[in-house]
Amino acid sequence: MKESKRMFLHYVSGLIILVTGFIHLISNNLPGIGTAIHESAIYPVNLIVLLSALMYHMLNGARVILMELIPGRCAAKAITWIVFLVGIALYIYGLQVFLNLFWPVE
Amino acid sequence: MSVDKEVEVKFKVFRFNPKIDFVPRWQEYNVRVDKSTTILDALLKIKEEQDPTLTIRYSCRQAVCGSCGMMINDKQMLACFTRVLELGSSVVKVAPLKNYRIIKDLVTDFEELFQKERQVKPYVIRHEVEELLNPTGTYKQTEDELLGYIQFADCIECGMCSSACPVSATDPLYLGPMVLNRAYRFISDPRDLGLEQRLEVIDSEHGCWRCHFAASCSAVCPKGVDPAKAIQLLRRMLVKKAVLGTSSSKKVDLIPMGHIKGKLELPKGWQ
Ligand code: SF4
Ligand code: SF4
Ligand code: FES
Repeated sequence: MKESKRMFLHYVSGLIILVTGFIHLISNNLPGIGTAIHESAIYPVNLIVLLSALMYHMLNGARVILMELIPGRCAAKAITWIVFLVGIALYIYGLQVFLNLFWPVE
Repeated sequence: MSVDKEVEVKFKVFRFNPKIDFVPRWQEYNVRVDKSTTILDALLKIKEEQDPTLTIRYSCRQAVCGSCGMMINDKQMLACFTRVLELGSSVVKVAPLKNYRIIKDLVTDFEELFQKERQVKPYVIRHEVEELLNPTGTYKQTEDELLGYIQFADCIECGMCSSACPVSATDPLYLGPMVLNRAYRFISDPRDLGLEQRLEVIDSEHGCWRCHFAASCSAVCPKGVDPAKAIQLLRRMLVKKAVLGTSSSKKVDLIPMGHIKGKLELPKGWQ
């Protein structure tokens, strides 16, 4: 993937975090509309979208910081791959925690 | 006619010859200057009258060639473009530009910088080989089109922006503001068709995305180029391209010019 696509997703995930984070906050703290969201399917879906955006944003940020700390063309490629694989593993783990929590298999 | 009063100013000059010195040292010289004396004049005076071993690089003496950039009182400045008394300081510290290898004293090595610059192909790229070899006219551009990139074309390649850049200081592979500005200058030229050929370098891990937009580069540019802005415009262009998948639809007219004659040789490595 080109760096421009990765960074575009970085900006978009940042915006998604703002929106879904806000929804998550009001659903946990605001009586009325918040409670309604909490009890509907919007709550888990919003949480999963928040997790996905957060994971991407955080790991891409870590990738950028690591690339600046460890300069080198090979290092950049290695960091990108390591972060990608760690990200997939963490995402699968987090997703199954949420799925078990909200839609437990009987 | 009034005669300008001369005053004595102390110069603390960075001295280092990597071939024989283990560590750099500061050497002090007192120089008499008047209001028209530039830092370069003062350094040449030191060289002529006090210490011929002092090494400096310069050429045009009028802020055109970009050779005499150095750290003057800890800031990137052109020696030929800075008057001593303008600094308002009785001690003037002169050192080589940061972020470059030192060749000797105030002279730094720009080889790596120019190698990076070559990677972004800093020239107008056209695909009509026949027209390039046997030109019949000139490519038209409007005044508005020219105004769109002229600011970025003012770069004299002094390398001071890359010396001020904090990312260039930590990531030696980062292209840096000078090179990215050069890339944008040509990409935004309506006559240029070379965006695709430059993408691999500018849209890479060490390309324009590593800029932190601190704009230290623009703050030191002696020509008002604003490379930080060029980098942001480059990013905007790349995001548009990544999202919309648009490729350049530039079209320029060729104005025939009967008097242009002769066969040209394409430079080696031209694409
Ligand atoms: S952009 Fe300005 S500071 Fe940078 S190399 Fe060009 S003229 Fe020098
Ligand atoms: S704006 Fe970007 S290129 Fe300019 S000094 Fe800051 S990090 Fe470097
Ligand atoms: S000597 Fe040419 S820019 Fe200073």
